[in-house]
Amino acid sequence: MIEILSIGSGLSLQDAGRSGWRRFGVPSGGAMDRRSMALANTLLGNSTQAPVLEIARLGAQVRVLSDAWIALAGADFCSLFKAGTARLVLAGEVLVFDQRAAGLYAYLAVPGGFRAEHWLGSASTDLRNGMGCALRRGDRLESLRATPNITTEGVARRVAIEPTDQICENRAHFELYRGTQYEAFSAATREKFVRSEWTISKRSDRTGYRLEGDSLAVPASIPSEPVLPGSVQVPGNGQLIITMRDGPTVGGYAKIAFLKADDLDRMAQCAPGSLLSFSWLD
Amino acid sequence: MKCRTYGDRGVLLSSLNEAERSRLLHRAESGLPPACDEYVLGYDSILLIGAQTIAVQEWLEQTNGAEVRAIKPSGCRIIEVDYTGADLDSVAQACNLTVTEVIELHSAPVYTVRMMGFSPGFPYLDGLDPRLHLDRRSSPRDHILPGTVAIGGAHAGIYSVASPGGWHLLGHTELNLFNLDAARDLDPDPARVFALTVGQRIRFQPMSTP
Repeated sequence: MIEILSIGSGLSLQDAGRSGWRRFGVPSGGAMDRRSMALANTLLGNSTQAPVLEIARLGAQVRVLSDAWIALAGADFCSLFKAGTARLVLAGEVLVFDQRAAGLYAYLAVPGGFRAEHWLGSASTDLRNGMGCALRRGDRLESLRATPNITTEGVARRVAIEPTDQICENRAHFELYRGTQYEAFSAATREKFVRSEWTISKRSDRTGYRLEGDSLAVPASIPSEPVLPGSVQVPGNGQLIITMRDGPTVGGYAKIAFLKADDLDRMAQCAPGSLLSFSWLD
Repeated sequence: MKCRTYGDRGVLLSSLNEAERSRLLHRAESGLPPACDEYVLGYDSILLIGAQTIAVQEWLEQTNGAEVRAIKPSGCRIIEVDYTGADLDSVAQACNLTVTEVIELHSAPVYTVRMMGFSPGFPYLDGLDPRLHLDRRSSPRDHILPGTVAIGGAHAGIYSVASPGGWHLLGHTELNLFNLDAARDLDPDPARVFALTVGQRIRFQPMSTP
C-alpha cells in the first residue's frame, strides 16, 4: 500500500486504455507511454497492462506504508530509484520525484497492479469524461498482490534496457505518414511543414500536444472525420496539434500527417519546450 | 468514395454519399474486415482501425453484393427540453426570428443520430431546420453542463459530459446521455451506457410550464 504525499504536476492511474468504444465518442485513453508502462509491469512479472501510477513531470511524493516490491520505468525522475529497475522498498520510505531528467512521464508499478475501479473495461483515469477521480494528497493505493508473481531474487536482478533514443532530451525527429488532407495543403506549405522546427507548447496535455512554429496556410475545415492519437492536425491558427491518448474521437481540422504507431510513446515523452522536426516516409 | 490509409493505423473510407455511408455502417455492424478491431463513423467517412487496404477492398466487394436494408426506424424518442438556454436571444437575433419561433423550429423536426463523437455519447443530429443553421460561436465556452441542448452548423446536439464547446445553447434536458454506472459493469452494454444510438430518431418537446 502506498500513500500519496504530494501529487506534484500530476498523478493518475492508467493501464492500456479502453478499446472498442471510439464509435460512441469515448477516447481510448490509457498510459501516455505504453512501452514504459509495460516495462514497469514486466519488471515485477505483472501482466503488461496492469494498472500503474503515471507520474507527470516533477514534484510527486509517495510514501510506502508496508514493505513492497516496486518497479519504476519511463522518465528517470526519482533520485533514489533508477528508472528501469525494481526493488523492495521498506515501510516508511518516501519516493520523491524531484530529479531533473529527460522525458515527461514516469511509471510506478506494484505487484499485480493497483486495485482500481474499471470503466468500460479499463482502469484508466479520464477526468474530462468522468471516469476515475483525481488523486489527492492522503489517498492510499493498494496493490492486488502482496509479492511479485515471480521470485523476488529474479525481480531484484532484472534491469530493463531502454533504447537510448526512446526518451528525447531536447530535440526529436519523427518520420511521418501523409495525412488524409495532405493534398489539401499546397506543395509550399507541405515543404514548410517539414523544413520548420516546432516547439512543444506548455498548453499541451493528455488530449493533445500543441506545437508552435511558423504558421502554415490552412485549407478549409473538413466535415468531422475520425481522429486517432498521433494525428498531426492544423487548426485555424496554422499551428499544429498532435492528438494524444485522451484526444477526441472525431474532429474537423485538416490532418497533414500521422505519426507511426510505434512513435506515439516517444512523442508522449517529449516535454514542453522540446524541438521537433519532421520528414516524410516514402 | 475514397479509400486511403490512415498512417499505419487503419483505412479511412471518405467522401461517402448517403447510400454508401448507410451500407457501410450496416456492413460494419455485421462484421469487420480481418485484423480490424473497431470502426469509427465520421460525417461522410468511416475509419476501419487496424485494417489493411487489400482486406478492406475484399470486404467492400462483399458489401457491394450485399442487400441494402434501410435502417430500421425504431420509433421516435421524445426528449423533453427546458428551453432556457443562454443563447436563445442571440440565436433568435442572428436568425431574424423570435425566441418562440426558435423553439418551435427546433422542436418540430424528427432528428436522426448521425454519429457520436466529441464526447462520450454526444449525438450529432441530422434534421435541423436550415433557418437555424449558424456558424459556431466565435469564442467557445469553457464549461458547458451535461444535458445542454445546443445547435452548431447544420446539426443539433446534446452535450453529454461537462466540457468546453462552441455551439449555441438553447436549453437543457434531464436525459443522461452517458451513464457512468453502467460503464462500470464487468461487461458493459452499450445500450445501457449510452441513451442514444446511431440511426435512432428523436424529437425535442418543450417542457410544459406549470
